[in-house]
Amino acid sequence: MTRAILLAFLLPLAMQAQIALFTVANGAETPVGAVLNLGKVAAGDTASVRIRVRNIGATTANINYFFVDGVGYSLDRPTLPFPIAPGSVQDTLLSFTQSTVAPLYPANLRIDSDINSISAIVIAAVVVGPVLTVFPACTGSLNPPSVDFGLVQAGQLRLCNFSLQNPGTQDMTISTFKVTGAAFQISMGPSAPFTIPAGSAIAFVVNFTPGAAAVYTGSLAIETRTYGLRGTAFNTPLPTPLLEFDSGSVQSSQQRRLTMRLPTAATSSASGSVNLAFVPDTTIVTDDPAVVFLATGTRSLPFSITQGSTLISIGGQTSAMFQTGTTSGRIRFTLTGVPIAGDPTTILTIPPSALSIDSAIATQRTGDLDIQVTGFDNTYSAGAMTFTFSDIAGQAIPPGAIRADFTQDFRTFFTQAKGGSAFQVRVSFPVTGDTSGIGSVDVQLTNSAGVKSQHLIFQ
Amino acid sequence: MRHTLGIILCAGCAFAQSGIEVPAIGTIVDSSGALRSVQGVAGSFWWGPPGVSGALSAACSERLCLVKTDAKILSPTGETNAPPGPAIFGVTADDAIVFFPMTHTFARWHDDALDPLDWAVDGEVLSVQRRDGEIEIAVRQDGHVWIVHPDGSMVDSLADATGPVTLLPDGVLFATADEIVVRHPDATEARFELAGAGSIDAMGPHYAAVHIGGAIYVLRTENGRESLFLLPGTTP
Repeated sequence: MTRAILLAFLLPLAMQAQIALFTVANGAETPVGAVLNLGKVAAGDTASVRIRVRNIGATTANINYFFVDGVGYSLDRPTLPFPIAPGSVQDTLLSFTQSTVAPLYPANLRIDSDINSISAIVIAAVVVGPVLTVFPACTGSLNPPSVDFGLVQAGQLRLCNFSLQNPGTQDMTISTFKVTGAAFQISMGPSAPFTIPAGSAIAFVVNFTPGAAAVYTGSLAIETRTYGLRGTAFNTPLPTPLLEFDSGSVQSSQQRRLTMRLPTAATSSASGSVNLAFVPDTTIVTDDPAVVFLATGTRSLPFSITQGSTLISIGGQTSAMFQTGTTSGRIRFTLTGVPIAGDPTTILTIPPSALSIDSAIATQRTGDLDIQVTGFDNTYSAGAMTFTFSDIAGQAIPPGAIRADFTQDFRTFFTQAKGGSAFQVRVSFPVTGDTSGIGSVDVQLTNSAGVKSQHLIFQ
Repeated sequence: MRHTLGIILCAGCAFAQSGIEVPAIGTIVDSSGALRSVQGVAGSFWWGPPGVSGALSAACSERLCLVKTDAKILSPTGETNAPPGPAIFGVTADDAIVFFPMTHTFARWHDDALDPLDWAVDGEVLSVQRRDGEIEIAVRQDGHVWIVHPDGSMVDSLADATGPVTLLPDGVLFATADEIVVRHPDATEARFELAGAGSIDAMGPHYAAVHIGGAIYVLRTENGRESLFLLPGTTP
């Protein structure tokens, strides 16, 4: 009786039908019947099906209602209303997700046009899903679900071991269990369909066997969940590049040149990044931001090598300039992004040095003698100063050497300036009487590496 | 002798350290038209925060910085209307001679005011500078660079200057086809192999910026301490 009523209800609609609903999988359309079963969906997973609305009539169909009504269901479609020209289609995505296990999640899918309406019951069951564990050297990620096989030399094999566990209290049937992707194969494990007893697990192995240097992708489908597979193959590792610097002793406040070359010709082209990092000797600062590659003002530059060459291009140039900053410590050069047979890491040591004076000037004002010094202290220990004023004949003026200690001021400045140890300090000496006879001042600046002296003529 | 000087230098507590600051070598108009200070010491530079935007030209002496926007000259104390376009400054302690290429006119800037100057200088004015109280102008005429006074009387010539020229308070900086040359009043020179200079701007008392494509080189111009560096973040 119920079936007869249903048929009687559907028949007139079918006779006047202008729009029709299909599911689309792998490009193939399947008409949507009275019931659309999404099957079993693992708790927390999302099952999606592409719904195609096809206008099979001779006039434009105006869609004014298109909803799915049910817990956990959603429909990704254009904003209503929207037209569909004769013979045209509109694809939408029907999705379902729920975290609570239950045997039946129903929904009503209905679409109305200005000519006809179609409705269908959508059902899905939420089940406990299997738990996949990936073992090293492969790495897994949940969002999105993916497995990375890492870097593998072309022609070599990388095995990836997996465990598939049934955490539920009932046996679990796995109907979908397959790998796609040219370089990926299941080499050991069961064939679908198979059953995992409650609380048990099965093991399987996926091989990654890349034939040539490239990035490979594939997929591992287990029931409703699909994991992306990815692996990168490289040719023979590069021989350890040689990092070389222009001649001369390395000190602070220099602009130096880095060149890189291979000891033997590269068997394949490659590219990566050359990076620098700085570790200061002092604990007063944690870095010196002035230590950068000059081309970009950053600490990383791309490099590339052409097959058959020993030359390494850095940022498109034959070399790269960098600043050594104003802090004693170590500049560490590393290479990333390309497999290398050895460790090319190279460390450049910036030694502590006596305070460096970039410029200094002594001037007179009424009632004051001013001394301004610009320089840097790569030990971050500056502060002790001695000033000895002399008359124009070169004789020291009493009280002779005047000592000052600005260590705390310098320390405060260094921790706040965050620009290395470069500084400009001004020291003023109040004086009384005629200052025209003061000719010069000898300045001594002391840090942990030594004493720097400077003779200044008053201007 | 000590007593005849009549000086009392206050020992110990008498001195006063009036401050420690981040040093700056000068200012520059960056590629976005923002006035930026360049901080650090020779060989270790970094950019200061952007300042005035819309800057077309800028120049600084030890005591005064002037910035030309499209229609104004900005100073630390104010602003004044000015002819449109960039400007060539010859800045001294508290005033400046300014040349406006678009109108080919000179003016004297002082106290946020512009006084027009009726100087008629033929050719392409490259730089202007006051030296020992006299105004000198570098001008290119028929492919040759001359240094002249405003009345046209000749001071010097730069036979091999084929590129930009900047007059310094104590010398001249110019580009040949493949070199940058710093020439001092005592006729000593420092030359740096650097081809293709597009412009040379004085950044401050002791540094100039040499623009070559996207790269900005910093040239220390002090006699005996000349050296050439590259500014971080400017690709050669």
